[in-house]
Amino acid sequence: MTLYVLKRIVAAFFTLVLIATITFFLMNAIPGSPFMTDKSTPEQIAKANAKYGLDQPLPVQWWRYMTNYLRGDMGVSLKMQEGTEVTKILFGQGKFELSIRVGLWALLLAIVLGIPLGCIAAYNRGKAVDSVLRVLTTFGVAVPSFVFATLLLLIFAVHLKWLPVLSNSLETPASYVMPVLSLALYPSCYIAKLTRTSMLDAINQDYIRTARAKGLKTRRIIFKHALRNSLIPVITYLGPLAASIVTGGFVVETTFSIPGLGKYFISSILNRDYPVIMGTTVVLAALIVIMNLVVDIAYKIVDPRITLTAKED
Amino acid sequence: MEKKTFQLFHSDVEPLTQWQNLGEADFAPATEQEKVSMVEEHKSVSYWKDAWRRFRANRVSMVSLFVFILLLLFAFVGPSFIAYSYEEQYREAAKLFPFEKTEAQEAAEALLAEGADGVLVTNLLPGSQTYLKKGNYYITARNGKTIAFNLPKSKEKIILVLESEKTPALWYVDQKAYLSGTYEKTEIETTDAPAENAAELKLTTSFFPHIFGTDSAGRDLLARCMYGTRVSLIIGIVAALIVLVIGSIYGAISGLAGGAVDFVMMRIVELIYSVPDVLIVLLLQVVLKEPLQKWFDASQGGIVKAMSDLGVGVVSIFITFALLYWVGMARIVRGQVLMLKKQEYVTAARALGVPGGRIVKRHLIPNCVGQLVITTCLQIPSAIFLESFLSFLGMGVSAPMASLGSLCSDALDVLQNYPYRMLCPAIILTILVLSLNLVGDGIRDALDPRLKK
Repeated sequence: MTLYVLKRIVAAFFTLVLIATITFFLMNAIPGSPFMTDKSTPEQIAKANAKYGLDQPLPVQWWRYMTNYLRGDMGVSLKMQEGTEVTKILFGQGKFELSIRVGLWALLLAIVLGIPLGCIAAYNRGKAVDSVLRVLTTFGVAVPSFVFATLLLLIFAVHLKWLPVLSNSLETPASYVMPVLSLALYPSCYIAKLTRTSMLDAINQDYIRTARAKGLKTRRIIFKHALRNSLIPVITYLGPLAASIVTGGFVVETTFSIPGLGKYFISSILNRDYPVIMGTTVVLAALIVIMNLVVDIAYKIVDPRITLTAKED
Repeated sequence: MEKKTFQLFHSDVEPLTQWQNLGEADFAPATEQEKVSMVEEHKSVSYWKDAWRRFRANRVSMVSLFVFILLLLFAFVGPSFIAYSYEEQYREAAKLFPFEKTEAQEAAEALLAEGADGVLVTNLLPGSQTYLKKGNYYITARNGKTIAFNLPKSKEKIILVLESEKTPALWYVDQKAYLSGTYEKTEIETTDAPAENAAELKLTTSFFPHIFGTDSAGRDLLARCMYGTRVSLIIGIVAALIVLVIGSIYGAISGLAGGAVDFVMMRIVELIYSVPDVLIVLLLQVVLKEPLQKWFDASQGGIVKAMSDLGVGVVSIFITFALLYWVGMARIVRGQVLMLKKQEYVTAARALGVPGGRIVKRHLIPNCVGQLVITTCLQIPSAIFLESFLSFLGMGVSAPMASLGSLCSDALDVLQNYPYRMLCPAIILTILVLSLNLVGDGIRDALDPRLKK
């Protein structure tokens, strides 16, 4: 077990290094210098490059980035907030916190909504409730998040005026509603589908027949015995779920103008602010990679049938 | 006792046990008719026919297939039924609501109702020009007569009216004056023979409505939606094909080779798999743009020409798919190959000395096809999804090109005043993705009933 966990941690670390490396070389492949404007002279650009060490060979720059990252130093912003430390931009100005707040609420909502819906669908298999839920979840998986987000905006903010159009820094509870809903739509529908399928699988198992033979009530069998075992596929989905919430964050933060990490990431790419791109990518990637790591380990703990030492395929 | 159990389970065998009672007639050769009736009718049904039958029985997938075909018609045939193109700008007609008319159009329609043969509204011409340049022109009237004239001065915002049966036959009126009710016809002298450098003018007899309205630049939204659907579809299909080719070749090599090669190849797949794709995709979009543009400008081959027509944004989406999204396909193909390799019939073929290439061709490929089709079909909507996501963030397709995602993105800023501009492409996009998903699910259930959920 310990060996397995260690192995996974090392693998996750290398994944992060790989992502940082890819990002580093990709952003250096973006044509032009971050200091290039209409007015700047070649001398000015060269001076600015020298100031931030951009005149050194790429491998040297890469090595500097990597070693600094291990020390928790992400460099300083070159453009968007010139001279400010990236760590301060990401964590000190509430950006990370904003994104995390919306993301966590969405995660919670997706689980709280998705699992019971899946159970209800499985419990009423073949009945009207099941059909209605199937149509709803199929729609929820097919509707792009930005379409749903703008629809919400249109209906509840523009027409009914119940909720604010701009969520900004999420000061009021009302400003949470739409971002969280649009972020949670896809995962909750996906989880509902997943739960329904795995629940139906579980219902056919022998131990369910035993429980039934003992004379337990159907409700108790479904929600106690079957649910526990059908949650395993849902746990494996939590990894991709984290990625999908990060991705959805880009869209949601753009649509509702929330000054979070996702919005900042996109403008940093468009502005070619190298250290900010690197920093944001690594932070977001770390979120996803760590989530995957936790899920992988949790998976093996939850389901003892999976041998811990066997190589996964 | 023993006999009783025997009878119980094999009751149809019983006549044979009474073989002592068989008469001479029972040994007569069967007639042709009897022979035919003995053979049970089992028409052999091919795999695809069988799958098609299963697919047809599935009502949801049939309906979504129908919807998908309608969308295909909408995207590829639709543009030839409407009078506007996706990139022509009608300056005067910007920001129209669905079916809304411009003042100029209303004036022209009133003139037509008064009995004009045809009109020309200068500021409803495509492009930024709202005037008729000075020069020689000719018009072919409805009765076949050529009416030529010379315009000594360029005229702005006028409505040119032809009434071939009346005099004056050709006149124009200032649009503003006409709308205010006090207008005077200005006659234009006409001749029968057009001057040498005369340009032909086409008169309008009716106006095609802007069914979905127009965008801020005066482009017809319906035409843009049709074009956008086409672009999104092309992106989805080409991206799925790219994934199919790269993924299946990689997966097949890995599965067939086995051993150390397989191990290394799968570690590579795992690495790419663990990279959060969207972060890299966003970067790639920006990185690829300029070098691609340079390459397009520099070279002139047939393929490069076709690609530059699609635009840098679209091609960089393809490259992204080629780089990152084949891993899922590779895993599936490898799994299939590994499973099939262990089947008895492959072992038998190998024992018979069948060469490896033939085993791949005769046994592995036909058995993989179903899985390949399923994965490719489900890849299309996800590619469309990704493209619209990128375009929405302003990184995919750029104007005047349109995709459903970029149309939505353009509409985001004006959502409060012009919600239909968001709704039209968004609804089409949703229907497209939904129908493709359902068709894909139907194909999966039809080709591989074991996978049915």
